[in-house]
Amino acid sequence: MKEAGTESKGEKPALGRAIKPIILIVIGILIAFPLFSISYYTMVRTSTPAFCASCHEIKPAVRAWSESTHVNNAVGVVVDCMDCHLPAPQDTFDFFFAKSYHGIKDVVIHFFVKKYDREKARQSAYAAFDNDQCQKCHRNLINMPNSRGAMLAHRSVIYARAGYEKKCVDCHYDLVHNDKIAVMYRQYRKLPYQAKGLRVEKLGI
Amino acid sequence: MRKMPLKPIIEVLVILSLVCAVPLSVPAQQANFPKVKEYRIERSVPPEAVACIECHRATTPGLFADWAKSRHANANISCLDCHLVQPGDTDIAKGHDQYYSRSDLPYGEGKYKVPIASIVTPKDCSRCHPDEVTQYSRSKHANTIEIIWKLDPWLNKGMNSDNERKTGCLNCHGTVIKIDESGTIDPGTWPNAGVGRINADGSKGACTSCHTRHRFSVAEARMPEACDQCHLGPDHPQIEIYEESKHGTMYHAYKSEYNFNAAGGTWTAGVDYRAPTCAACHMSGSGKVLTSHDVTERLSWETQAPLTVRPENFKPFPSKSDWQTERNKMKAICQQCHGDSWINDFYDGFDKAVEEYNEVYFKPVKKKMDELYEKGLVDKTKYFDEHLELQYYELWHHEGRRARMGAMMMAPDYAWWHGFYEVKNRYNAFMEEADHLLKTGEKAYIWSPYPNATGNTKRPVEVFPE
Repeated sequence: MKEAGTESKGEKPALGRAIKPIILIVIGILIAFPLFSISYYTMVRTSTPAFCASCHEIKPAVRAWSESTHVNNAVGVVVDCMDCHLPAPQDTFDFFFAKSYHGIKDVVIHFFVKKYDREKARQSAYAAFDNDQCQKCHRNLINMPNSRGAMLAHRSVIYARAGYEKKCVDCHYDLVHNDKIAVMYRQYRKLPYQAKGLRVEKLGI
Repeated sequence: MRKMPLKPIIEVLVILSLVCAVPLSVPAQQANFPKVKEYRIERSVPPEAVACIECHRATTPGLFADWAKSRHANANISCLDCHLVQPGDTDIAKGHDQYYSRSDLPYGEGKYKVPIASIVTPKDCSRCHPDEVTQYSRSKHANTIEIIWKLDPWLNKGMNSDNERKTGCLNCHGTVIKIDESGTIDPGTWPNAGVGRINADGSKGACTSCHTRHRFSVAEARMPEACDQCHLGPDHPQIEIYEESKHGTMYHAYKSEYNFNAAGGTWTAGVDYRAPTCAACHMSGSGKVLTSHDVTERLSWETQAPLTVRPENFKPFPSKSDWQTERNKMKAICQQCHGDSWINDFYDGFDKAVEEYNEVYFKPVKKKMDELYEKGLVDKTKYFDEHLELQYYELWHHEGRRARMGAMMMAPDYAWWHGFYEVKNRYNAFMEEADHLLKTGEKAYIWSPYPNATGNTKRPVEVFPE
């Protein structure tokens, strides 16, 4: 072969040249794949409400959630903790870091801060909430012929005037994590759902 | 001849009388039984709301008819949209439950039972009108209870009774609503639609002060008659001042031509109205200035305060803006109808009136009053129980306000005869009496016992948390 002539100048054969990278790639895959699988599996395992409830501080919130209309509705849709509280998983980077940050923070607080202030945690959750979180699912907020008031109010959120930006949770703050006397089923709601109006904290001067 | 048979005659008479009576009775019925406003369920409404409407149509027909003519009824906003409470709310009117077991009432059945609140608050209104409520919540209207408790000696020294307050001061300023365990509203705090009412849900005020129940009309709030229920009398005669001003004169002459129902954001000076009403200058959008439910936003002087100060320096409730910005806003509104020299020269007269009031009248009187207190000639423990205290109070609270407000809104009689003329007389009488005490060392006569000085002197915890 012609190439054989050039090889005679002291260079290794092509297969010989490729063997090192191939070995490295195989080693890489052998290390990375289990690592990737482990982290993926960890992410999946730690994304369930059951996992969130493994911290006793979070248990009341998970219980209230399980009794709420975000779990109990005629269409069978269940909205998990992370659907509201974390960026969407397809925003891999944001999701991964927000999740890790919250996980580490919660563990640190669990061990080093004595008392868990539920009210304070509630307020900081309100502050951290973006409308995008809700609007991942609730996208058609303007055309509600049976809810004329909501049509009016939602306009002032979606097309907010400068200085009047609002969060969904400013009015819908009592939707999921409120202590209920019975399980709420959306389809058995006797009366139409109403937001409670702006939280008093939002009306402060 | 035999007697005529009576029976046919009677029959004829009866028939005749019936024939005559029928056409007569028709107009009589029309006059006495006006047609009742109808309500057909043509749009989707929850059955509980139908029950509200049908029962109240019978029991409180005026209230129903009022709602039926409202924009809310137009938009299919029913009783429940505002009065429904959610489980856990503190203001549930439990007494209302009894009407769901009354077979004599339409829809008086248990299956229609819903928890309701009798008081609808700005927080409830914010469900649909959040921006309006946000603006309102930062106004002096919404916070007037806090302001008067920081300033007013009637309250702080307990110089009037709780009922004098309920029926007087707090009727406009607002009560602190109290609801007991059984859901009954404390009669000492109700009925009330004061602009600064403190509601059980923590919100402040009442939208129904200006947009009265159950019409909730924008047109009504644009009329000066919406404001005159409170802004009148010796201490803040804004409506009388307005009536005397050119604006008021023109309003009365041309109001039949005014288009009070213009859509929000379109009410236009010179098109929909000829001369402005209170709302037109203080609240409505005009030119490039946007509408605000913060009625005190556009002020550049606190003409109601003892010493006139800029709104940002008004200690009980400093504004978040600065007076120059707000004056420019107000001038932009004047510019819809007036030229610059008119506006600037008017403000020049107003600023001079404020300065003269502050420097020539108020400050010397205040200085003298402080001296009397310091020397123990006037007693500090109570207020209004010595003639000089009353003189001092009326100088700033009555004619001092009339002078400043009269100058501000160009009502000459209030600026002068009810204003500075009276301030002058009061000043002289005050100084004469004060100097007499200072010269003789005689103590001021104390009116004791002071009648009905029984009011609570504790600041409401709802406004001043401990």
